[in-house]
Amino acid sequence: MAQPPDLLEVRDVAKSYGAVRALVSADLTVSPGEIHALLGANGAGKSTLVKILSGALRPDSGTIAVAGREVRFSSPVDARRAGIAPVFQDPALVPHLSVADNFTLTGTDRAAVRPWLDRLELDVDLAERVNALPLALLRMLDLARALAHDPQLLLLDEMTAALPSDYADRVFAVMREWRDRGRSVLFISHRLTEVREICDRATVLRDGRAVDTHRTAEGSEARIVGAMLGERAARVDLPMAERGPAAVPGARPRLEVEELVAGRRLKGVSLSVAPGEVLGVVSLEGQGEDDLFLALAGDLRPKSGRVLVEGTPVRGRHPIQAIRRGITLVPSDRQHAVLPQRSIRENLALPLYSSMRSWGWISDRAERRAVDKAVEELEIDMRAAGQAKQLSGGNQQKLTIGRWLVGGYDVMLCFDPTRGIDVGTKHQIYRLLRQQAAEGRSVLMFTSELREVRIVCDRVVVLHDGRIVAEMPAAEADEERLLHAMHDLGPHDLGPHELGPHDLEPREAS
Amino acid sequence: MTVTAPPVPQMPPPTQPRGRLQRFLRDEAWTGALVLLFAGLLFWQSTQVRAWGSFELQTLATSTLPLVFIALAQGVVVIAGGIDLSVGAQMVLFNCVAASLMEGAGFGSSLALAALTLVLGAVVGVLTGWIITVSGVPDIIVTLATSFIWLGLALWIMPQPGGGANPSFQEMFVGSGTAYWPALLCIAVPLLVVWVPLRRSRIGLSIYALGSDPQAAFLAGVSAPRARMTAYALAGMFTALAGLATTAYTGGGQASIAVANTATLGSVAAVVLGGIALTGGVGGLIGPVLAVWCLFLIPANLLSFGVDPSYGEVVRGVVIVLVVLSGSLLRRKWSKA
Amino acid sequence: MTVLDAPRQQGSPLRRIPAAMLALLGVLLALILANGLVDTGFFSLGQLRNTLLIAAPLALFAGAQTLCMLTGGIDLSVTMTATAVAYVVGSRAASGDSAFTAIALGFLVALVIGLVNGLAIGVFGVNPLIMTLGMAAIITGVLTVGSQSFLGGATRMPQIVLDLGRGTFLGPLPWNLLVWAVLGVGLVLLLRRTGLGRLVYAVGDNRRAARLAGVQVWRVETAVYVIAALLAAVAGILVGGRSGAVDLQLTASYLLPSVAAAVIGGTSILGGAGGYGGTVLGALILTVLDTMLTRLAVDESLRQLVAGAILLALAWVYVSSTRRGATRRRSSA
Repeated sequence: MAQPPDLLEVRDVAKSYGAVRALVSADLTVSPGEIHALLGANGAGKSTLVKILSGALRPDSGTIAVAGREVRFSSPVDARRAGIAPVFQDPALVPHLSVADNFTLTGTDRAAVRPWLDRLELDVDLAERVNALPLALLRMLDLARALAHDPQLLLLDEMTAALPSDYADRVFAVMREWRDRGRSVLFISHRLTEVREICDRATVLRDGRAVDTHRTAEGSEARIVGAMLGERAARVDLPMAERGPAAVPGARPRLEVEELVAGRRLKGVSLSVAPGEVLGVVSLEGQGEDDLFLALAGDLRPKSGRVLVEGTPVRGRHPIQAIRRGITLVPSDRQHAVLPQRSIRENLALPLYSSMRSWGWISDRAERRAVDKAVEELEIDMRAAGQAKQLSGGNQQKLTIGRWLVGGYDVMLCFDPTRGIDVGTKHQIYRLLRQQAAEGRSVLMFTSELREVRIVCDRVVVLHDGRIVAEMPAAEADEERLLHAMHDLGPHDLGPHELGPHDLEPREAS
Repeated sequence: MTVTAPPVPQMPPPTQPRGRLQRFLRDEAWTGALVLLFAGLLFWQSTQVRAWGSFELQTLATSTLPLVFIALAQGVVVIAGGIDLSVGAQMVLFNCVAASLMEGAGFGSSLALAALTLVLGAVVGVLTGWIITVSGVPDIIVTLATSFIWLGLALWIMPQPGGGANPSFQEMFVGSGTAYWPALLCIAVPLLVVWVPLRRSRIGLSIYALGSDPQAAFLAGVSAPRARMTAYALAGMFTALAGLATTAYTGGGQASIAVANTATLGSVAAVVLGGIALTGGVGGLIGPVLAVWCLFLIPANLLSFGVDPSYGEVVRGVVIVLVVLSGSLLRRKWSKA
Repeated sequence: MTVLDAPRQQGSPLRRIPAAMLALLGVLLALILANGLVDTGFFSLGQLRNTLLIAAPLALFAGAQTLCMLTGGIDLSVTMTATAVAYVVGSRAASGDSAFTAIALGFLVALVIGLVNGLAIGVFGVNPLIMTLGMAAIITGVLTVGSQSFLGGATRMPQIVLDLGRGTFLGPLPWNLLVWAVLGVGLVLLLRRTGLGRLVYAVGDNRRAARLAGVQVWRVETAVYVIAALLAAVAGILVGGRSGAVDLQLTASYLLPSVAAAVIGGTSILGGAGGYGGTVLGALILTVLDTMLTRLAVDESLRQLVAGAILLALAWVYVSSTRRGATRRRSSA
């Protein structure tokens, strides 16, 4: 072996949380001067591996070598000393301290950060407290701090997720610069186009194992997806034919929203959902979509406008008032839905007792019947029934949906119900939503995965700047049209032939 | 292929950089309000008491001295994201230790014994922090348990009230005649010598970081055990000071469970009124001192309204509840706006 | 992620008792045996009766504490509530009211205290520790003044209260045991078999999730603090009946043990996990321990030390046993 040792060599690393094996056997090598992508479906073990590499977590077994020398990190400080500097999606900045204090805390030389702040074009008052600054800026500050430590390996964990495109461009530029200096970057991202264009090699994790490492090239997205999905790749797309019958046209709308204004970003939205219909909502991040869902669910009080169910308005300032009218919410963040220490049964049966009238004796038989039905319909994994926190993300999501199968509803508000769960569960959820619609219920679903619109929805509305800017039947809602509408570009701005989906990818945007 | 929504095209311009003054006002509003409240209470007292002067100030400064130290101890721990239900018990323990050792001792040896008590305070604090770290038991439970232990030790050292203190040593804390500045100096010196430099240092920042966001602090390389033990060690030294101040004020020692409990509850009250968030990471150590003084003056001033000063306890309770209540209402309003 | 082995889901009722409970039971039995060795008279009916007489009020206080802790709160005003109730009952009875009126007034006071606590915590979001500390201070102040004026003069417990507090209802079994048994069973059933019980756990485990699922958290919390205050009222009547007289320190010694009993019994101070069964064991352990130390004529100092050490040790054991095998909250994604 004449060639120099790899910068980073991970061999057979394993990690379990209790009964759950997050990493079974991870192998990864990063050479000096390369940008290496680490990919995998959610739950494949990426985050665990990143935490191990950044010293936040100790592996159960396996070895990690940096520049040929075996290392054992017992804290993030060790990793930083060994030349690995991580930047996380949630920046490791302490909220109540000023930015400058945060630099002091990590022993970061202010003079060493300065050039990177300039390089990233960050104009920020370092004396400002962290919790007064926007998240995207904090990520950039965290990056500048990491760079100031002059690491051999820069670890970027989904750092570009929902990052404004001008920021993302600067991040990519710095990554390339880092590579040109002979240093390396380990880049974790969900955006495969990004990966293909920036990264030299990619390693794919599946079910806690490294299943494929290859040099990226044109068309490697297909190979990556194949590796991510494994044998499940066969059913990657649910054909439109599997849907139930389409909504009855002309039926009286079940849910009507009139000029709803709520929160900081929702500036006036009107829409209606018919019985048996799945209405999609798509938007860029921060267009009032979360305010819309929280306001409909009764969690956020509208400033003006009306919400009507079957023609009569919904009032009140608590979700229970919406729930009584049949509107239920599946929130975006599972941590806002799951009772982690309680059993699957208690999680599912929760809505049965929310009303004060049902504070009394529990009917064991009725509860069991309702819960068993939901478990069966959703194929919830009952092996770890004791505590919901032991379930996988997909099964936790099933709990939060299943809760309303138990509690009953007419209109389900699903906010990005498939975010962060595996493909198999995603498809189960698609099927379930269609089936619910076929039984006459209504669904309002926000999705950040645009292709889901054509799989699940009947119709879709596009939200921009707190208002609805477009509406179309799902069959016509290809990703290109949706993206177009999401950016609120009129048809005259760009002709159909000038606009390909890639034109809207972050790098080309500016 | 999965295409997630592309990112927001442009970053909105960052918030306007605030002026130093504006930021200071925002961050120190609470302390400012306390200063005003304290000044108002003092002024009110001065208009009510004939020949108001240094005697009243001395009473204020010396009789609250133990509670001030206890509040400082609680303050450090709460900033670090914990809570210490044993501060009162620690104070009683160090009161008994000091009083039993100092009986009949000269001034020089009293000083040495005081230093020893401070060291003991740090040891007790480190031990508390260590137990919390190693056991993983919430601090409220650990300190509840250790409060029994320290009280037991105090009772063992001093089954009956007794002990003594060197008069010059007493004067060092409580002054002689109507001098109130020794007591103020006793508060100012540890704050200026220990806390102020520490607060801007890495170790002091790590205490704030631990209370503010343990996860972020960990990723930033803060050693939670070390930060926690430092915070508790500081708190232990403050409770040792409280014990010494009690010894100096009363000229003896008493292992009283009631005194310990009242002091602990008072420390929590002072910390809350002093603007330290119970969730950790926010506040400073000036607030608790002012809060203790305000809580002392309120019942005293009630007398001038013809209200039975025994209602002082009621007022104290109401004030604490109202402060926290308005705090949570304000927070709710802010989060809505 | 791969699930290797899942916890058994069904089984005999015995197997469903968590290991921690069995360990607690073992500790209790060991303490009882040790007590018997120290003093063979411990197993006499009289001694047994004495132990239960002491255990009942503590278990009631600890029950109140358990409820509050399960929602993620704490009630440090339970003992002052109890004292206030005892004062009211004693002074009303002394001034000629019937026992029924006196007791009803006492419960009314407790109800008001519980309502104020619950509404402040549930509706206005005041930190429970602070709210109940403040409430304890307020009650203390009112009683201090009141004992010299409107509550002043002789306090005399009605006969029925005296009977409940120290009388015997059957053999070695005191009346207060019966009261405790009824309320204890009620509390266990409330937590396990009623909708409100489910909500108590849900609120303590994840407030936000509970709200989004339609739970009116403030109602649950108000109910919990009211029930806690009423349990405290019963405990106050029992303690007042046992001592026959009332003073400000009547129940003060129960406050920290009430938290300790719940913690020893495995109720999480952060909410969402635990139950009254464990708390009962915790209360019994503390009482038997105290009896033993009294028997041994041990100094107050050593008793404090031992109580602290036991609390610490059991909390430690409990935390480390639940930690093992439990996944971290934010595991991998």
